[in-house]
Amino acid sequence: MSAAATIPDTPLFDRAGSIRGYRINKMAMALGQPVNRAAFKADEEAYLDSFGLSAEEKSAVMGRDWHEMVRLGGNLFFILKISAVDPTPITRIGAAQASMEHEDFLHLRLGKKRNG
Amino acid sequence: MAKIIGGLGTSHVPSIGAALDKGLRDTPDWKPFFDGYEAGKQWMRDAKPDIAVVIFNDHGNTFFLDRVPTFAVGVAETYNPVDEGWGPRAIPAFEGAVDFSWHFVDKLVERHFDPMVCREIEVDHGLQVPMELFFGRPDAWPVKVLPIWVNTIQYPIPTPQRCWDMGKVLREAIESWPGDERVVILGTGGLSHQLQGARAGFINQAADRAWLDGIANNPEPYRAMSREDYVEQFGSEGAELIMWLVMRAAMNSDVNLVHKHYHAPASMTGAGMVVLENAA
Repeated sequence: MSAAATIPDTPLFDRAGSIRGYRINKMAMALGQPVNRAAFKADEEAYLDSFGLSAEEKSAVMGRDWHEMVRLGGNLFFILKISAVDPTPITRIGAAQASMEHEDFLHLRLGKKRNG
Repeated sequence: MAKIIGGLGTSHVPSIGAALDKGLRDTPDWKPFFDGYEAGKQWMRDAKPDIAVVIFNDHGNTFFLDRVPTFAVGVAETYNPVDEGWGPRAIPAFEGAVDFSWHFVDKLVERHFDPMVCREIEVDHGLQVPMELFFGRPDAWPVKVLPIWVNTIQYPIPTPQRCWDMGKVLREAIESWPGDERVVILGTGGLSHQLQGARAGFINQAADRAWLDGIANNPEPYRAMSREDYVEQFGSEGAELIMWLVMRAAMNSDVNLVHKHYHAPASMTGAGMVVLENAA
């Protein structure tokens, strides 16, 4: 299926993405366990190193650059666990993907009333 | 023979469970959403099912990318809610309809499906949230469950036609089961949403509303649609809607659309439900 190439701005998590993002996603998946959440909080870089993340991947995670994490193959369902450890609303992650201000994103994409 | 008493379609957005956990049910953001489900809850109280078949997808909570089953079926005694990163939720474990689940597995393989068969596995919000929406927060769930996982995360995901075919086998399994259980089928996921890419936040209210009527009264176009069409119309994660086809195909071709509800946005998703009964 080649939908990724035909639907604008809509990356599908296909073979290439799954391979590319394997390390980031594996690291994020592990945050489902309390012991790993504690390790992440105690020393984030050491935790990321233990999953063999590249410098580029580490930088994206440590900078909470959601757009970049997805570009590197991170799948939102896995990397969302980072937002559980370091709380970030999913709409802010969405706004970052869309390169929009959060308020604009809520209004223009999700149809919420401004200031409402 | 067991009896299909209804086919339900519903969203399973995790924020719904989180809203209940935080006591946000009656806040302005959530009240219209939850109010619309009251009719579905009442229907469920009256229908008194014994078994709930829940078709859903895992969201990187139970299955990692090391093994990705296209279809998986639970045959466990008990399904605990999985920790999705926010810690354990205060909801009861789900009791499995073990014998019936094995019967379904037998039927599937007989009909040339090849499911992964799971004896020890946890369930994420994909199953939890639909159960909470229709059964509330009981001390113990009033039904046993048969969970069916469909891969909608890593492409290739199954075709809509394949989901439809599975629904036909589900019906055959229910009708060939010697017990007299009352079975309700929950197809879950959707409606339109997209969480990734520059089109994130995509919601298609017109397509969602058409879906709620169409899945009841004219499902053929949805069975025939390509996966690409689903992604285009409903967003990359909205393609989860293919799982409603398993439910729909298990019902009669003629159904009554008993209840319908739509609300957008629930978090980043067009959310809604249908309650279908087989027409006499």
